Amino acid sequence: MTGPDLFKGHVLSKGHAAPSVPMSAGQQVLQASGLTRRFGGLIAVNNVSFEVRRGEIFGLIGPNGAGKTTLFNLMTGLTPPSSGTLTFGGQDITGFAPHRVAGLGIGRTFQNIRLFKVLSALENVKIAQHARTHAGLTQGLTGRDRAEERLVDERAWALLDLVGLAGRAGEEAGNFSYGDQRRLEIARALATQPQVLLLDEPAAGMNTSEKGELTSFIRRVRGEYDLTVMVIEHHVPLVMNLCDRVAVLNFGELIAVGDPASVQKDPKVIEAYLGG
Amino acid sequence: MTELLQNLINGLAIGSVYAIFALGYTLVFSILGIINFAHGAVFTLGAYFTYTLVVGQFENNGLIKGINLFPAGSPFHGSAWAFAAAALIGAVLSGLVAVVIERLAFRPMRARGADPLLALVSSLGVALVIVNLIQILVGAESYSFPTDIYGDLKPALIFSLGGKLIVVRTVQVIIFAVSMVLLLILGYVIGRTRIGKALRAVAENPGTASLLGISVTRFIIITFFLSGFLGGLAGTLVSTAFSVAGPYFGVAYGLKGLAVIVLGGLGSIPGAVVGGLVIGLAEAFVPAEYSAYKDAVAFALLFVILLIRPQGLLGRVQIQKV
Amino acid sequence: MDFLQTYGFLIVTMLQQGLLGLSLYFPLMAGQLSLASPGFYALGGYIAAIMLTAPQFAGWRDALGSWIFPVTWLFSALASAVLGVIVGVPALRLRGIYLALATIAFVQILQVLSLNLSITGGAVGLFAIPQAFGFVDRWQYIWIFLPTVIVVLLFAHRLQGSRVGRAFRAIREDELAADAMGIPPTRYKVLAFVIGAVLAGVVGAMSAPFLNTWNARQGTFDASIAFLAYTLIGGSRSMWGPLLGGALLASLPELLRSLADWRLVINGLVLVVASLYLPQGIVGALGRLRRKAPPQRPVTPSTPALGDTP
Repeated sequence: MTGPDLFKGHVLSKGHAAPSVPMSAGQQVLQASGLTRRFGGLIAVNNVSFEVRRGEIFGLIGPNGAGKTTLFNLMTGLTPPSSGTLTFGGQDITGFAPHRVAGLGIGRTFQNIRLFKVLSALENVKIAQHARTHAGLTQGLTGRDRAEERLVDERAWALLDLVGLAGRAGEEAGNFSYGDQRRLEIARALATQPQVLLLDEPAAGMNTSEKGELTSFIRRVRGEYDLTVMVIEHHVPLVMNLCDRVAVLNFGELIAVGDPASVQKDPKVIEAYLGG
Repeated sequence: MTELLQNLINGLAIGSVYAIFALGYTLVFSILGIINFAHGAVFTLGAYFTYTLVVGQFENNGLIKGINLFPAGSPFHGSAWAFAAAALIGAVLSGLVAVVIERLAFRPMRARGADPLLALVSSLGVALVIVNLIQILVGAESYSFPTDIYGDLKPALIFSLGGKLIVVRTVQVIIFAVSMVLLLILGYVIGRTRIGKALRAVAENPGTASLLGISVTRFIIITFFLSGFLGGLAGTLVSTAFSVAGPYFGVAYGLKGLAVIVLGGLGSIPGAVVGGLVIGLAEAFVPAEYSAYKDAVAFALLFVILLIRPQGLLGRVQIQKV
Repeated sequence: MDFLQTYGFLIVTMLQQGLLGLSLYFPLMAGQLSLASPGFYALGGYIAAIMLTAPQFAGWRDALGSWIFPVTWLFSALASAVLGVIVGVPALRLRGIYLALATIAFVQILQVLSLNLSITGGAVGLFAIPQAFGFVDRWQYIWIFLPTVIVVLLFAHRLQGSRVGRAFRAIREDELAADAMGIPPTRYKVLAFVIGAVLAGVVGAMSAPFLNTWNARQGTFDASIAFLAYTLIGGSRSMWGPLLGGALLASLPELLRSLADWRLVINGLVLVVASLYLPQGIVGALGRLRRKAPPQRPVTPSTPALGDTP
């Protein structure tokens, strides 16, 4: 039940899927221009502009406190930018509420895992299909949501299969190990049926072999679901191995963007990581 | 002009009692993050303690009736000093009751990390017990303090301004003065002394505070004592201005106190003072023809302030970490 | 019928208070602690009392006969829904204790209004409200309240298993994460609040004839906390909790009748002891005794298209 047919051509995507803008590979999906966020006197993100191309895996690195997570929050509507704009598939989505952003097709995970801890793994993944389904109160009460519910259920199980947690579908998410919680969060983000997936430190707390598996898993998911992926990651070898392009943030400013090899040689980047 | 002045005087007097009463709420909130609904009952108790010490006699109903603890000639009879002593002892007793409440109704809950909402129910249970015990012991009637509790002081000062009279009741002056002195002392204790610094540390973060070697439990006990002391004294002051209006009369003040602390900012000590004065003044300025709606003023203010500035007038904004 | 003559009133009261406990449960499903129920309960009761006693509605009463009673329920439901939206949209931006306090303020404001308006009968209230459907005995109200309890439980059960119920739970567990997963929190919080408001309003409309009089004492702060106690002591995470809590606590004064004056003291002690020793509520404590069955994977891997289902 895993596989490409899970999303493409699936009945659930008819009509309810994120409005997909016709885009070919290499075309830009996301564009940030001049994104800035101040907290009081502190500038967490300062005039950041970049673009993310369709189908690529785009890494975001930088020292602790560089503003990476804040940038994700700006991109998903959790924090409104102080200034600057963000477009997604050509549409200006600056200042959109998080649920609208998710509805348009940007899914995410969180650095400090935010699963619904006392709910089961299965329910976590079902909940995240909200924007792709439409049964309202009356349908739910009269049982006219049965067909949709069955599809929600099937998709949730398939996604748990994908991350290897189907055997523990009924367990509370909070009881899972750190690594499994990260996997479940990815399944939950995929359940929103995104075009762009933002992963905030997906490898944190994983050991070396798990990190290796994660790399191939992200690649596979990107291919199967036709995704664009943005990853915040501390572990530099993983980023260099996984990403097509990398952006480096330091003190809220974007100091370099490019392919991993050239970014690694960039003197400004070396200074940011070593100079302190 | 005279009307304005008169309203101002009335508003400041009642507002200052609201302030010291609300301080009791806010102290507990700032340390434990819970709202102690029993505070209104402690307020009532304070008034009954003082009344017992001053008059010592409840007629009509209840188990305690027709007795006279303090007949003429006993220490609590007559002078203004006797009344002051009674009010002080009443407040201390209220403080001790608050400490007992903490021990019985809050500490066991804290020990197991229960939902803070349960503290609402538990403290309301305590309030129910206190209020009904009062009713069983001394009945539901309201009692008025004798007019001579302030000894030789005149009951009111009357000024003439532009041909109109302004009445300043002695009770109002006393209430205002006592409240202000208390606020200054409290401000000094919390702002300048080691106890105050420790209290603030516990309020900021109980975990860290206990790492620093501060006994959190001890400071929680101190906080509850202060809270009960302030509540009991406010009860005495209000009841001398009006009457000891039955076992339930603290409940309404308990609710109004909620409006005060939210208006000022939950957990903010200067906020409680500002909130108390604002609500006291707002009520005093309600025109006479709408006086029936006076009790809605505090709650209308509460509702509006929550909608436009949930952190209150002097509270800090909490930034949620993602 | 002796049993019903003696205990009928108590049983109906237990059902009625259980329903009011449930009116807090719906907002709590979406994580919202609202204490506004007594306000809507009072509103519903006043609407019914006015429609059943005011001379202006004499024509309606003559035309509708006994149908006037369901009509009062309907009007109370509508008025509660409208007021629920008006109050809920701004108030539900608040979280936790702040929302609770705002809803307490709402109840207090409504109470002061009902004490002072002439249409609500001022401090005296409205009285001589006719008995519903020509009932001659109080226990007969069981024919109104029991079916209502069943309908509400079925409603809650269906809701929990539906997409809307999942959205409520997601918001209860983590509003921000729910938002990021595509669930609009405000819409669902208001929906949950309005469901509770409508239930409280309808119970008020049903209770006005049952109690025969209606006045400002119906919607008070005490009631707010009583309903909260039903929910927390019964258990706030299952629909059985508020119902059980409401029924038990409503019967307590009757059970303790022999204690006379001391019964309210005991009532207070019960609240303290229950919140100390039953933090999950009675139903929560019972629930830990039995294990939940694991979810069953659907057996049909081949998926019919949505449009194909009849």
